[in-house]
Amino acid sequence: MEKVCVIGAGSTKYGKLADSISDITVQASVDAIDSAGIDPKEIKAGYISNVFGVADKQVHLGPVVMNNLGIPERPSLSIESACGSGSVSFREAFANVAAGFYDAVLVTGVEKVTHTGTEWTTTYFSYCSDFFYEGQAGASFPGLFASMARAYLSEFKATEEDLAMVAVKNHDNGLLNPKAHLRKKITIDDVMSSAVVASPLKLYDCCPFSDGASSVILCSEKFAKDHTKDYIKVIGSGRGGSPAALQGREHLTTIPSTKIAAEAAYKMAGIKPKDIDFAEVHDCFTIAEIVDSEDLGFFEKGKGVEGVRENYTSRKGDIPINPSGGLKSKGHPIGATGVGQVVEVFDQLTGKAGERTINDAKIGLTHNFGATGASCAVHIFQSV
Amino acid sequence: MLYIYSKVCKLSAKQEFIDAAKLGKVLARKCKKCGELHLATVYFCQNCGHREFENAPFEGQGSIVTYTIITVPPAGFEKYTPYAWVVLKLNNSDLRISGFMAGIAKPSDLPIGTKAKIVGFDDRGILIEKQ
Repeated sequence: MEKVCVIGAGSTKYGKLADSISDITVQASVDAIDSAGIDPKEIKAGYISNVFGVADKQVHLGPVVMNNLGIPERPSLSIESACGSGSVSFREAFANVAAGFYDAVLVTGVEKVTHTGTEWTTTYFSYCSDFFYEGQAGASFPGLFASMARAYLSEFKATEEDLAMVAVKNHDNGLLNPKAHLRKKITIDDVMSSAVVASPLKLYDCCPFSDGASSVILCSEKFAKDHTKDYIKVIGSGRGGSPAALQGREHLTTIPSTKIAAEAAYKMAGIKPKDIDFAEVHDCFTIAEIVDSEDLGFFEKGKGVEGVRENYTSRKGDIPINPSGGLKSKGHPIGATGVGQVVEVFDQLTGKAGERTINDAKIGLTHNFGATGASCAVHIFQSV
Repeated sequence: MLYIYSKVCKLSAKQEFIDAAKLGKVLARKCKKCGELHLATVYFCQNCGHREFENAPFEGQGSIVTYTIITVPPAGFEKYTPYAWVVLKLNNSDLRISGFMAGIAKPSDLPIGTKAKIVGFDDRGILIEKQ
């Protein structure tokens, strides 16, 4: 298996964007190409992740992107795996470079939905659930995670205020990220007094609907060494699945696919959770970050809330989580999110993270899932 | 190949499942090889991979293991808001099933452990009420 590296990364700002879905996809891709310092013709294939292209009248984005990059003859794969689309796309690209099919590929994720409004997005996102049992019965995504939150709060010593602390921490981080969607300091009181969306989750427990695109260039180690000194290695890649509907899971306070994906990624990397210097995890809702931090092995089951209570997960803590601001503050353009996490790790490990730099970080982890964790990918990166 | 497969089990069991829900029941499928129980919409045993099942109807009665009260609904649910989406653990089995519950406005209306039952199926999916 070829060793795989990331040699370039770029993102649009996350938030409400005016340009079309295909334009922002190309903008992020060009940023990644320039960051890598390569010629587009050196890219052998494209992996383009997106969920609701239909909302901006462009699905099958791959060929449009390749065409606009001046390489219409190159193959592309347009990928949908709900909110996990970006990391699933990254994994397919990783597998193809590792297998030796291509020495350099483009991975770009994008979403453009804010123009549709809350009702449209709430409704269409619910189609990412096991619709027969969940979306059809009125379960929104905040509702599904709220059900996990209620199970967690009733099973463990945790409170709604603990969940609020996740939002406060991630907003603190997002303030330092110029590309973040919600750059605003908030307090626990702000979270607790925000409108209830799906009890027990309130508006500030929820990530925003965002537009945005993120892109990275993946390549073989030889290609990386031939082009630049500014690259990072992919040392672990794991994927997993869970029953699509929450009702099919024995426990509602854990996400099986995260554990499976993490175990595979740690095994490939030959490291343990304690070796991770920081992580970008899927905090679509505050409860998700708590559950993720346990499933990824950073905390014992039921102890994840101590991460925020004791500041272990803040930027200067033992295991900083979501230094980018996470989905909660940086924003969640669902097709882009998994790629955007890799952009943050690339920036952190190559000295481009500015004020939010995690000191002495050498190993970073990304964790991204689709729906309530029905599909998941975990990747581990190391600086050179 | 399709012909052979269709002799083993029908291509969709959803209508039977819906018909059972309308009678307040859950149509589970029991694996003929290992006995694992599944909801009727599974076609291969999740435990052993076998694909022959026998019907195992359960009364749609149990207790609430978790739920949410939705105040920002998807399209079509505005007129029911607020309402609950609940996960019910069936009595005498480990099976859990989720569905729509009308008329729940605050958490004190529905403590975890509340007894509830399936009462029907319509365009809101499986309908569940407190017992």
